[in-house]
Amino acid sequence: MAEEDVQKTPEELSRDLQESKARLEEAQRVAHVGHWEWDLETDVIVWSDETYRIFGLSPQERPMDLATVQSLVHPEDREALYGGVDEDLVAGIRPDAEFRIVRPNGEVRTVHALTSRRWSFVPGDAKRDATGRPYKLFGTVQDITDRKRAEESLQLTQAHFREGQRLARMGSWTSDGTKCQWSDELFPIYGLDPRKGVPSTEEFLTIIHAQDRPSMAEAIRLMLEEERGCDVTTRIMRPDGKMRYVRCVGMRVVEQGVFKGFLGTGMDVTEQELLTQELRRERAYLNEAQGLAHIGSFACNFVTGQNFHLSDETIRMHGFDPSGPQVPLEDFFATIQPEDLQGVKDALEKAIRTRTDYDIEYRICRADNGNIRFFRSLGHHNPAGEIGDYVGTTIDITERKRAEEAREKLRQLEADLAHMNRVNMMGELAAALAHEIKQPITAAVTNAGACVRFLEMERPDILEAREAASGTVGCATRAAEIIDRVRALFKKTAPQWEPVNINELIREIALLLQNEIRRHSVAVHLGLAENLPEVMADRVQLQQVLMNLMLNAIEAMQGVRAHLEINSQRTDDGQLLIAVSDTGLGLPTEKADQIFDAFFTTKPQGTGMGLAISRSIVESHGGRLWASSNSGRGATFRFTLPYEESLRT
Amino acid sequence: MSTQAGATVFIVDDDEGVRLSIQRLLKTVGLRAELFPTAQDFLRRNIPDGPSCLVLDVRLPEVGGLEVQHKLAAAGINIPIIFVTAHGDIPMSVKAMKSGAVEFLTKPFRDQDLLDAIQQALKRDQLARRQQSEIAELHERHKSLTAREREVMELMVSGMQTKQIATALGTSEVTAAVHRANVMRKMHASSPAELGSMVERLRLSSNR
Repeated sequence: MAEEDVQKTPEELSRDLQESKARLEEAQRVAHVGHWEWDLETDVIVWSDETYRIFGLSPQERPMDLATVQSLVHPEDREALYGGVDEDLVAGIRPDAEFRIVRPNGEVRTVHALTSRRWSFVPGDAKRDATGRPYKLFGTVQDITDRKRAEESLQLTQAHFREGQRLARMGSWTSDGTKCQWSDELFPIYGLDPRKGVPSTEEFLTIIHAQDRPSMAEAIRLMLEEERGCDVTTRIMRPDGKMRYVRCVGMRVVEQGVFKGFLGTGMDVTEQELLTQELRRERAYLNEAQGLAHIGSFACNFVTGQNFHLSDETIRMHGFDPSGPQVPLEDFFATIQPEDLQGVKDALEKAIRTRTDYDIEYRICRADNGNIRFFRSLGHHNPAGEIGDYVGTTIDITERKRAEEAREKLRQLEADLAHMNRVNMMGELAAALAHEIKQPITAAVTNAGACVRFLEMERPDILEAREAASGTVGCATRAAEIIDRVRALFKKTAPQWEPVNINELIREIALLLQNEIRRHSVAVHLGLAENLPEVMADRVQLQQVLMNLMLNAIEAMQGVRAHLEINSQRTDDGQLLIAVSDTGLGLPTEKADQIFDAFFTTKPQGTGMGLAISRSIVESHGGRLWASSNSGRGATFRFTLPYEESLRT
Repeated sequence: MSTQAGATVFIVDDDEGVRLSIQRLLKTVGLRAELFPTAQDFLRRNIPDGPSCLVLDVRLPEVGGLEVQHKLAAAGINIPIIFVTAHGDIPMSVKAMKSGAVEFLTKPFRDQDLLDAIQQALKRDQLARRQQSEIAELHERHKSLTAREREVMELMVSGMQTKQIATALGTSEVTAAVHRANVMRKMHASSPAELGSMVERLRLSSNR
């Protein structure tokens, strides 16, 4: 090339130089490397175009000198770069420096500058004067900002990764099938010292809990012999005696179809494992508790039919197998008793539509044994959730229901007993009264007998006879007094006037006589007019009347097709008309007018007081009570009660 | 109408009017009455030797009439009882009659019915008292027998002749005949048949 150059014309040489300069410029631009030349005597600094660009300036924008260059260096780095320049500028310049510059637009860049110090030996690197001192310096400057950032970012990433591993109690490892590499973080997880290096397989296995050792050994064997990945959680016994759960995951690394080894992690999962165990225990306890209390829980969407959660007890309560395949929602609905199903559906639809909670009771027929159980289901809807999403509980309330039924029976029994007591009490009262009255009557009769005897003697004893006669008078008077006292006793229980709803009263008595009605197989029909005005009446007395008439009717229908009808209605003249109609024996034809007389009875155990008392009560309420034979069979008893104040006497 | 001299009629009734009227009625037939408002008052009274009977109300405060009857029987007092009640039911009267009541009258009773019942009761009492004293006499006579005479009497009553008795006792016929004569004399028996009835009555009374 040198020979060729010799033959070239100056123009050609100049053109070549220009071309090579351009190429250099191009190379500098691509590599972000600029060069510079500093004439120490004139303090003129010549920059290449790229140098200008690196400093954020246009190429050859202005001439450079030391002060200008210094002003472009980042203030914090200026001292370090030019610290010794004042005394011995050239000696102070470091041959290799990294510093930041500030571009005119404020952008900070990091550059790497190389300055030749070997000026004594390599001419062109530095020019010297006659004294041997350099008078020119030459160097390069490279923009390394991007590289720097990448480095920093890498460092940061690595730091984060390490920190992440540390925080996650996780370490990583690699293996090429023969040799194993551990990350620093993996050592403390196994309680090992990183300085002692990666343990051998045998050493490693000694750390593993004896019970888990075989499974770990097997996992390692499969990795080494069959190149299989692994995911095993084992207990380890750290040298410090602590037991920890470590999950070891190994993934096969395959590059272009060739197995290269394993990349894996070791993770301390003690907390997760303990939590999982705790959760499992809690679930077991919950299941147990639900089983004991017969409470099941569920979370589902009634619209889509999705089951999100069904506790074992929920499944068991319906007679399904919790360990079996998942039971679809419609199967649960299928267990509901047909007569309750519509009610359940209506309640659910309403709750879903209004996005509200529901509380329903229904019966189911268990899928396994066909037993009928009472359930109460409570569903809670989160208004923010999807339509049809419900979380709730189902409770088996069969026992409670049975207890309620038993209580109801008991209540009925008590009512019956009260009724019987009332009847007995009447008998007792009558007996007591009879005794009380019979005493003075006995005395009177005996006195009268003695009186007659004294008079009939051969020599009548008038004195004794008179005493006996006055004794008779005294005793008879006493009998009358007792009767008066009894009457006064009854007068004391003055009627308690209050507004009474007659229909309510009729229903009450019908309920009270439920047992009699059932015992005699009586079909009862209540034809009660709606919106009847209330009557001012003594509730208990009216109850007596109704009970009397209804009991009479029921007893009159022994052995016949028994149909009892009670009607209530309003009459045109401000009264209520109540009719009690039966299909019994009817009225005794020749004695129809006597039935309301006291002591008239056609029944073997009758007192003959019922109708007499009833009529007296109705009349004291300003009404009337009468009877008539039905055109077919049986009799009808009717009574009126005035509901307007003015009509009552 | 025969009235027993010295007879006493006890009247237990909680109603004073009834007590007084019965007392007055008894006066018309010359009978003495003692009145008690409660059973306890009557039970404290010693029953006199003379003939007596009891007119007892069934319904009495605290101790009822039927209980009084029971207590008297337990104490061995055989006074005839006429029950009166204001409301007698059949089971109650059956019970009273079975326990030896003379009559069960419901109040108000006819004066004649009560008087008849009282007469009957007093007669029964008299008879009972006579039987009682006869048996007491028989016991006295029986006590006067020697052990051997009692043995002989048992054999006589079983129908043995003197000869058979001698064989049974291993004595001579003469000795047996002497014992036999002593038994007849001490027991005031006029015939073996009468002795038999005496022994029967003794057995009955001691079994009682």
